[in-house]
Amino acid sequence: MLNELLFKFASWLDTFQSSTDLHESLYMYAWVEGTHVLTLMLFLGMLLAIDLRLLGVAFKEVPASTIVERLDKPMMLGFIVMVISGLLLYYAIPVRSTQSIWFRIKVVLLISAGINALLIRNMTRSSDMSWDNDPVPPKRIRVGAALSLSLWLCVIGVGRSMAYDWWDCKKELPYFMYWAAGCVEEMAAFE
Amino acid sequence: MDLVFIFEWLDTSLLAEIAKSSSGVFALVQTVHIASMVMLGGMIMLGDLRMMNVLLTNVPSGIIIKNTKKWIYLALVFIILSGIYEASAIAMKLAHNSFFFAKMAGLAMGIAFILSIRSAVYARAPSATQQETGGGTQQQPETVSPMVVKLVAITSLLIWFSVASAGRWIGFS
Repeated sequence: MLNELLFKFASWLDTFQSSTDLHESLYMYAWVEGTHVLTLMLFLGMLLAIDLRLLGVAFKEVPASTIVERLDKPMMLGFIVMVISGLLLYYAIPVRSTQSIWFRIKVVLLISAGINALLIRNMTRSSDMSWDNDPVPPKRIRVGAALSLSLWLCVIGVGRSMAYDWWDCKKELPYFMYWAAGCVEEMAAFE
Repeated sequence: MDLVFIFEWLDTSLLAEIAKSSSGVFALVQTVHIASMVMLGGMIMLGDLRMMNVLLTNVPSGIIIKNTKKWIYLALVFIILSGIYEASAIAMKLAHNSFFFAKMAGLAMGIAFILSIRSAVYARAPSATQQETGGGTQQQPETVSPMVVKLVAITSLLIWFSVASAGRWIGFS
């Protein structure tokens, strides 16, 4: 049911001429993708500095709250550019992206990383910041930071894998994979 | 000077054979390459933007530069190792790719810049030397002007942005 809905939505997006134009443009698609990848350095670079401080392995002389608060704005700026460029990339290739198992895993990972980031943000903005100047923060904070780094590393890996056609719908795959990737037409042919 | 023989050698090496045999491992190495790029870019930006008084202005610049240094070196090691692996799989394609040569020239320039001018100037930046002498009451004589520090920071950002952009463009050319 959800697979059919997503497929219909992607197919509808695909009918727009601007979607095709963006995908087939000589330079525009490359610029958007280049921006998406290069903004990683701003967004994840700042996040890395925050997480390394929360892990207690870097910037130990600086209060954790200073690093978190001061790097929040550039990090969010990078995040906004990444979201906009990411949406444009999806718009350029809606059907293949919707039917990519990697894209689906990436969305799940992004949601998980977002929830984890909110939890960390709450923990670092709570009234109990007695550990703020400690070189090594409490265990719950370090676990959150390690989870954050792991999730974003997986997001990079899965994002990179989207370029490969290992499990594209056109390939011969088990039914489960067709279902997981949302290959609606292939699933119908199976039945 | 014709460098094609290096690419020909790389193309027939054992490394190339391994890199071409598994696209899964290749994708994994690409992930390491991008993650290292994030580490390098993030730490460079942190240091340079601090020196331009854009980020973390309430933290002494010496602390930021000291803390970012080892991560920059670590990232460079991973970038070079994963880069050689990636290059071995498409060596002959890269032999005639202008963006690859632009990236390599930029990378060499970036490394030389970090090891020489950037570290020398940042060590003599007014805020860094104030911190070393404890609190800013007494400055060391060998400080460089804030304008020079900012110029070095902008140059550093430009070099690394060019390297990353040229790297991304290899995939499109």
